Amino acid sequence: MKNFLIRLVWRVFSGILMVLVIASLTFFLIRLMPGDPVSAQYNQLIMQGMTPVQAENQVKVMYGFIPDEPVGEQFVNYIWGLLHFDFGQSISYEGIGVSHIILTAAPWTLILVFTGLIASFLVGVLAGVISAIKRSSPTGTVLTVSGSLLHGVPQFVMGLLLAYLFTTLWPILPFGAPYDSSIDPGFNGPFISSLISHAVLPVVTYALSSYGGWLLTMKSSVITVLGDDFILASEIRGLKSSTIIGYIARNAILPLFTLFTLSIGFMFGGSVFIENIFDYPGLGNLLLKSIDTRDYPLMSGAFLLITIAVIAANIITDFLYTFVDPRIRR
Amino acid sequence: MSDTSTVNTENTFKDQEQKMAISARNINVVYATPTGDIPAVRNVDIDLPKGSITGIIGESGSGKSTLIMAIMNAVTKPGKITSGSVLLNGENDMLKLSSEKQRKIRGKEIGFVFQAAQNSLNPLRRIGQQILDLGRAHEVNDLRKLINYAKKLLIRLGLDADRVLASYQHELSGGMRQRVGIMFSLVLNANIVFLDESTTALDMLSQASVLEIIRELQREKNLTIAFVSHDIGVIADLSERIEIFYAGEIVEEGKTSEVLACPKHPYTKGLIKAIPKISGDIDAAEPLKGSSPDYRTFKQKGCLFYDRCPIRTDSCRDSRPELNITNRDHKVACFRVGANDRD
Repeated sequence: MKNFLIRLVWRVFSGILMVLVIASLTFFLIRLMPGDPVSAQYNQLIMQGMTPVQAENQVKVMYGFIPDEPVGEQFVNYIWGLLHFDFGQSISYEGIGVSHIILTAAPWTLILVFTGLIASFLVGVLAGVISAIKRSSPTGTVLTVSGSLLHGVPQFVMGLLLAYLFTTLWPILPFGAPYDSSIDPGFNGPFISSLISHAVLPVVTYALSSYGGWLLTMKSSVITVLGDDFILASEIRGLKSSTIIGYIARNAILPLFTLFTLSIGFMFGGSVFIENIFDYPGLGNLLLKSIDTRDYPLMSGAFLLITIAVIAANIITDFLYTFVDPRIRR
Repeated sequence: MSDTSTVNTENTFKDQEQKMAISARNINVVYATPTGDIPAVRNVDIDLPKGSITGIIGESGSGKSTLIMAIMNAVTKPGKITSGSVLLNGENDMLKLSSEKQRKIRGKEIGFVFQAAQNSLNPLRRIGQQILDLGRAHEVNDLRKLINYAKKLLIRLGLDADRVLASYQHELSGGMRQRVGIMFSLVLNANIVFLDESTTALDMLSQASVLEIIRELQREKNLTIAFVSHDIGVIADLSERIEIFYAGEIVEEGKTSEVLACPKHPYTKGLIKAIPKISGDIDAAEPLKGSSPDYRTFKQKGCLFYDRCPIRTDSCRDSRPELNITNRDHKVACFRVGANDRD
């Protein structure tokens, strides 16, 4: 137990260190991109038809608050802010706190990606077990082919295809926006049902495009376990087939466990393509928008969230793994 | 032939079956390959008398393990049993029972210890939990009693029972796992135990001690044991009866002492000559000539041992000898029984 605590403290400490290192790298990396927030806005105003002089004045008014001290000093301030949980202010949202913007966007992404992830994982793993056990029957073949096909279709193609099918060809589902703007947001029936019907397409798109990966990984993992001696041994000892399938599934799911928890971490990156197609105000869209406008603080914030989530997921996985697999315990 | 004598022979046949724990007839197993079926076991009849130890010996790939699996109707794909019957205690035909009945017989009436018994346990469950799984699968009511019996067996096998039951497979050494495998085969009081090269992976000392325990338990519980090995020394030491397997067929069988003292089949003779003596000239041991049978061997019309046989004649190439009695229950499949080597 004492060892466990020491290990935990050490892992958390090194995790925080890692987050800081990555945050520093991101800080400089995003500033290496061509352009800057002011010129991005300037170009946009020009494109909207303003004269250069008008645009320059407008930008000066809008973005007067942008710090213009040297990059080194900005960096020190940024890190110092981070250590006080201050993530800075957005540029494109004109001074609104980055953490506020991200916290507003996060629930949308979590609804979308988490539901899709759980659904695709459960269905994919189950289908993987079946396709492995029945791999020489038509059922198995059909499942495997479905997995390979869906795995091969990129998210944006899948999203556009589903959108075309269910909003244009058979217009049974709404397209775009997270809910019907004519309904007042709140905890009431029409709003919730509008939320759900708007979420169906993006969630299904996410689930379908990750289902194949789970299926194929689980299938190959199950086939590996099926060849293990202890499965034959269990059969010859006359164990019930339900027990044996339990043995197989538990052993086969171990490699997927890591993938799954890491996916939970990467979930905080949002799903850029899907959110973009369905105009979902999640983290993916936010990230895309912040890159478009060269909104440095917001970009840093979005990347930082992904960093923290993935590193935390890693640490949690490491510790959970010792419960799932006795061979890892020390 | 009169009616009474027919009845008599039927009766004696039945009596004989009663004495047999396993009585397998005309077993044929093939392995399906892209180039056609390859026979692994052909027209094998084998009896395991109750309370005896039978050694089955043969080189790698001769089909001896496949035969054991066929007896339990547990041949794995791409293998396939094409014909045969396996009577268990003169009653149930293993090859015709429903799969649920077969499942109940496996483990409960027939114990099996694997060649790779080191890997015969689920790595994610404690040994104790796996014994409980086994008990539940075979509808054991008193699971506590089962665990106690398992502990008793483990102590007999020289292990620290409590520690082993609380352990995972990876926390035990190879020899310990092998013993745990033996415990698993006996814990439900199976009367028939198959050991498939179960001691091959152990060093000489562990092997000797495990064999000693097997012998003790066999005497005590009057177990019927079939011991598959390619180690003629182990078989000679342990078994009462011996079956010599070559290319999927039994070429010689009988009492171990008799077969080893005066082998009749040239293959058996060759095997015995190939054993190096502990004293004397090492070169006195003669390896068998030729190479192990392969897929071409099975297409031969004549004797399968023809290519390597030192006493072959032309008739051996044209037809295949059957297993015939030479002396009481000593049977040999050779046309040239009694002929001397290098005639």
